[in-house]
Amino acid sequence: MQPFISNSPQRLAAALVLGAALLSPGCKRDQKVQVQPTIEEEDTPRLASAVRMNDPKLAPQLVNGFYPIESNSWRWTAKQFSVLLRPPTAAAQRGAVLSLEFSVPDPVIEKLHAVTLKASVEGTALPPETYTKPGPYTFKRDIPAGAITGESVRIDFALDKAMPPAGAERRELGVVAASVSLSTK
Amino acid sequence: MSRARSAAYWLSPPLVCLALHWCDFRAWFRTDDFAWLGLTRWIYSWRALWYALFLPLAEGTIRPWSERAFFMAGYSLFGLDVLPYRAVIFATQFGSLILVAWIGRRLSGSAAAGWLATLFWMANSSTSMPLGWASAYNQVQCGLFLLAAFALLLRYIETGRRGYWMAQWVVFVLGFGSLETMIVYPAVAAAYALVCAPRYFRRTLSMAPVSVAYFLIHRAVAPPATAGDYAMHFAPASLLSTLFRYWTWSVGPVYLRPSYGAPAWLVAALVALLTIGLSAFAVNRWRAGQRAAAFCLAWFVFVIAPVLPLRDHVSEYYPYLPVIGLCWLGSWAVVNGWRRGPAFKFAACAAAAAYLFMVAPQMRAASRWSYRVTVRARNLVEGLAGAHQLHPRQQLVLDGVDSELFWHAIRDHASHLLGIEHLYITPESVAHIEVHEDIGDIGEFLVSGGVLAESLADGRALVYDVRNPRLRNITTLYASQPHSGDLPLRIDPSDPLISNLLSPDWYPIEIDHRWMPARAFVTMSGPPRRGLALYLNGSVTSQQLAEGPVTLKVAVEGAALGTARIGANGFEFHFSLPDSLVGKPQVVVDLGVNRIFHAPGDYRDLGLSFGLIAIR
Repeated sequence: MQPFISNSPQRLAAALVLGAALLSPGCKRDQKVQVQPTIEEEDTPRLASAVRMNDPKLAPQLVNGFYPIESNSWRWTAKQFSVLLRPPTAAAQRGAVLSLEFSVPDPVIEKLHAVTLKASVEGTALPPETYTKPGPYTFKRDIPAGAITGESVRIDFALDKAMPPAGAERRELGVVAASVSLSTK
Repeated sequence: MSRARSAAYWLSPPLVCLALHWCDFRAWFRTDDFAWLGLTRWIYSWRALWYALFLPLAEGTIRPWSERAFFMAGYSLFGLDVLPYRAVIFATQFGSLILVAWIGRRLSGSAAAGWLATLFWMANSSTSMPLGWASAYNQVQCGLFLLAAFALLLRYIETGRRGYWMAQWVVFVLGFGSLETMIVYPAVAAAYALVCAPRYFRRTLSMAPVSVAYFLIHRAVAPPATAGDYAMHFAPASLLSTLFRYWTWSVGPVYLRPSYGAPAWLVAALVALLTIGLSAFAVNRWRAGQRAAAFCLAWFVFVIAPVLPLRDHVSEYYPYLPVIGLCWLGSWAVVNGWRRGPAFKFAACAAAAAYLFMVAPQMRAASRWSYRVTVRARNLVEGLAGAHQLHPRQQLVLDGVDSELFWHAIRDHASHLLGIEHLYITPESVAHIEVHEDIGDIGEFLVSGGVLAESLADGRALVYDVRNPRLRNITTLYASQPHSGDLPLRIDPSDPLISNLLSPDWYPIEIDHRWMPARAFVTMSGPPRRGLALYLNGSVTSQQLAEGPVTLKVAVEGAALGTARIGANGFEFHFSLPDSLVGKPQVVVDLGVNRIFHAPGDYRDLGLSFGLIAIR
């Protein structure tokens, strides 16, 4: 007598078809796509007072003029760049201190010789500063009490010069930013 | 060959394929995949199923097995779980690899050459896309049909058994449902018979009428494009130039991209040397009476032929099937060289190494790129599913969308698969998206600053940041930033976010359109520059036209733009806009028809149904 599982290709084919037919309803699913949880607003602070350039979660606060994170720590800026920050406690009454930690890279000074950085807070201009040597700097300015009113404050930075796009580099490059923050006075 | 060696011989090509294309095996969906998967949404009757399977779509193609049935059956059974789709794609490829080895062995008379041909094929840089992109499965499936039909022909010639001949016919005819390339099979079979089995030549010609009939029917139901990228150019110089390009992309890497920082001239030089080597070997074999070498070249020329007229639509995966012929020839040359003296042995190894050095890194790079893009698409789609589950009644607006994400995960309406009819991108995202007017319209997804501000204020929309793998709700943050208050230049009446820009007379949204009564108004942005026109498209019913054409009257800001007679079911009009409207932040468009009608069982006064109102 032949064993049930023989070499018969017809039997094998029939078994495969039957198996597929029986399995297919089991494969049907009501949910056609896997659902990935999102990060909702209540999960995270709405707005930070300090933004480190390497924190991708805070990237939405970098309103414009910031390029993608490099070396997991910093970002090139354009000639003009803006950031949105949460004012520290009682800033409306006492004012706040703005700090921008950044570097002026060698190529910027070699090409432009000097760059001047200006900042304004909600339209109130802060004293500018000129940098003639490459290296790390902190641009620190007092913000008067009246300049901060709402729950968020927009700070606009502007350089007088920037490196224009050249060769393979198609971006306009200003300085290298590491962090920006508002702290209490 | 012992049993173990035999098993290793046949099993190793699939394993090598899996190792080389591991990224492709793990890739998710992207681009056109979502449009094909979305076909299932329209299957509500047998007639709809018939249309979905056989109606010409996407540049007039009719590929029921490899596209329609593959995606529709896959989506019905497995949804967006990619593993079963990948299993089918790779199982098909494994079948083709076994056939490539089997046929290569017969053509060259060498088992080693047959095996090596599979390695050469899998390493070729044109293979990544068919294996890593589900929408290119048509290539993989057609490969199996082509190779299976040819293998059956060889068996028929070897054994004389009529069953093989009939089976070849069945496979050949079924192959048309996979890809149009199948049309060349009679030429492939005839070429083989002519050079290797002349007795069967006339018999192989009996298949040609089927290809001719397919060509004529296909041309009748889906006329070829006469303009744009898919227009066909038959000038001999154009055909030869495209053939030369695909030859270099087959012998070398696609786009002749160098690897490991090698200079471009080195790639060109290696491609030239391999071309000389392959040609010399084919001539040498011909003289030695082994004419199958010439057939290998014929395979390349015939299988690439259908895409040669597409001068302006070159694609990196088009050599995927033609290159099999060169893989047979190349592997045969290598094995032949190996069996000769040391100089030939060295030349054979150097040629194989040069080929692999050029193509394999590019294939791997393409696979990694494809995998990375599909992971981004997956994160977006699954994240959208999460957001939609949490906020089913609100419209989702995406911020931080870049070119890659837009063109590979958004443009083909992946969101429709989740039940999200309208998906939006912020005006800020648009600056980061490259424009490809031939592929799609970014404006379809763009929400204007003014509409978005209003929608956020009344809680109808939520903004999600898509820069990171996990979608992040940034609605409050986004709303707190200053944005432009521009009104849209493009009004899709079925868009729930622009409802406030339509006068109250408009009737509720009906999937992708909205009816207006005899007269209605739309508020939108004025034209940003001179020379633009007001574009209108929509439809009327046959019942509405029974009493004659409908007249549409259009005015903007009180000034008449003109009238148009609508005599067919679908309409599309352009009305030139006066220069006096340029730069106006908002204009009111006044639309009116001369006659209304009532649909059976519907007591509304129906004027016209609009799909799009745009300034462009």
